[in-house]
Formats: sequence, structure tokens, C-alpha cells
Amino acid sequence: MRIEVNKNILASNAAAAGKNRERLRRHGVFMVNLMASPGAGKTSAIIKAIERAPELKMAVIEGDIASEIDSLTIEAMGITALQINTGGSCHLTASMITSALNYLDLDVLDLIVIENVGNLVCPAEFDLGETARVMIASIAEGDDKPDKYPLMFRQVDLILLNKMDLLPYCDFDLPRFRQVVTTLNPAAPILELSCKENRGVAGWGEWLTGATASTRAAKAAD
Amino acid sequence: MHEYSVTENIIAIVQDEAARAGAARVGSINIILGELSTFSGQSIEFYFGELSRGTVAEGAMLNFIYLPAKAVCLECGSRFKPRHAFYACPDCGSPMFDIKQGQEMFVESIEVD
Repeated sequence: MRIEVNKNILASNAAAAGKNRERLRRHGVFMVNLMASPGAGKTSAIIKAIERAPELKMAVIEGDIASEIDSLTIEAMGITALQINTGGSCHLTASMITSALNYLDLDVLDLIVIENVGNLVCPAEFDLGETARVMIASIAEGDDKPDKYPLMFRQVDLILLNKMDLLPYCDFDLPRFRQVVTTLNPAAPILELSCKENRGVAGWGEWLTGATASTRAAKAAD
Repeated sequence: MHEYSVTENIIAIVQDEAARAGAARVGSINIILGELSTFSGQSIEFYFGELSRGTVAEGAMLNFIYLPAKAVCLECGSRFKPRHAFYACPDCGSPMFDIKQGQEMFVESIEVD
């Protein structure tokens, strides 16, 4: 016997993401899904955000296949950090974020930063219910990453180009990178920064502060 | 590991449908995959063997039906077939286009005994 099903395989993730988004909106909390390759500087960028926007009440959700290295680093700065170990899975899913949100006091928070599993492929496919998506590209990865991972570059709201201090030592064609990214995603600004040398990080802090204020204002207007 | 959670979702959908129909065994599962979806049928099959063990879906055959990609340019209205690394309208060069088909991923139907 044939049974017609016609059910979206990602429907359960989409439903959980929608609930997360609505829950955050009700509390006026801005949640950013930070994605990048392993080693591009996700944790460093979060540390810079904590330093640059100390007035924001922030929590961090760390996604890694294994280890608590990142959450311990963030906690050492006095910021609440929850570690999700995916146990082999290459991305976070919306229901993992739902569980993490249950541990956070959304009434007092302004900002939640999710550090997704280091990967430019799978995290692009899974909506977590975030308010905005940010990706980090880094100079050492090469200027061809937008050509190779167009989905990731297409669907983010902001691109951080980290490790600008390495530019003199790498064959990274900066104008070409900018041109390809702008073709893929004309709306997303590209911020050049060096977390190591503390360059360009003010712009990243300002972006987070501005986005957080808009989210709070939207809640107040409800 | 990209397809692991997707395969879990497929099995959950199939279990649900089979239980509703009172089926004892699922013979085949027909899955629609858009060409632009980055999920691989081969990887889903690999995980399916392990994850379906002990469920009503164990031993079912997976059939994949691939839907071609279709897009419409928002600037000039041209209809074209986008590729993954191809991100500008072939007629006017605009990067702004709507993908009309090719990102689907759903369980279309199942055959049960």
C-alpha cells in the first residue's frame, strides 16, 4: 500500500527555530549565530565583543564536537557560557538551542552569541531561531572561500574578515574577495579586523550594540 | 555527519506514518531532493542502515527523486537554472534572484505492507 506523505524533512527543525525566535522576541533578546571554519577566530571575536561592549548583558552558547575549552575561556571572563557537545554531529540544531535557552535568564539578557561548530557547510542549512547570522572568514583561509561555500556567504547579515595582520604573508587578493562577496550578498557589510592586534574590533562591538538596541526597541514598541 | 540528523528526521516521519496506517513493515521510502540541497542521498543511505535498525523502517529501500534547480532573476525576469557556484543571472548579470525550485527535501511517499 502506498501512503502519500509529503512532509518536509527539516520541518521539525524549522518549527523549533520559529519557537526560539518568538521566545527571544518576546524577551527583547538579540541572538547571533556566529559561523566560521575551525580556527577562523570565532572565540577570539566573542572575546573582543565582550571587551568592546561591556555594557551588554551577554551569554554565550558554545557548540563543539567535543571539549569544554571554549566555554571555560569565556567563563574566565565572567560571562555565562553553556557548552553543547554535539558528539560528532557537524552543526547545531534548533532543538539544542531550545534546551540551552532553558538554562538562561532571558529577562536579564540583552545578547546571546551562539558559537556554531567550526564548519562552512552544514551550519548554513540549519536555522536555529537566531535574530542575525554572522560569519567570520580569515586571511589564512584564502580569498576563494566565497566561491567554494556560496550558501554560507549568501545568507549572512555581516561578514567579519579576521587575521588582517596576516595579509602581508598570504596570497590573499582582498579586492577580489570583496568583489565576489558583494556579488553573492550585496546587503552584508564586510568588516576587516585583527583580533590579535585589536584592529577593527570597535566596528564589531558597535554593530552588536546597535543590533541589540534595535531588538530591545522593537520589544518596547510591541 | 551532515546527514545524521536529517536521517533521524526521515525515520521519525516514516515511523509516524506507518503507525497511523497500522503497517508492520515499510518496503520503500520515496524522498524528493532538490538539486541545490547540499544533502547527499548516499550519506542518508549510509546512516539509514544504522539508524533504522529495530524500527518499522528497517530494511526499507530508499528511492531518491532529484528536482532540477530553477530560478527567476529579480532584475530582468529571466528564468534560468542556477548552479551552486553560479550566482549571477546569465542574461543581465544580476546577483539578485529567487530560487523557485531545487532546495526541497521531503518524504514524498512510502510503500507499506
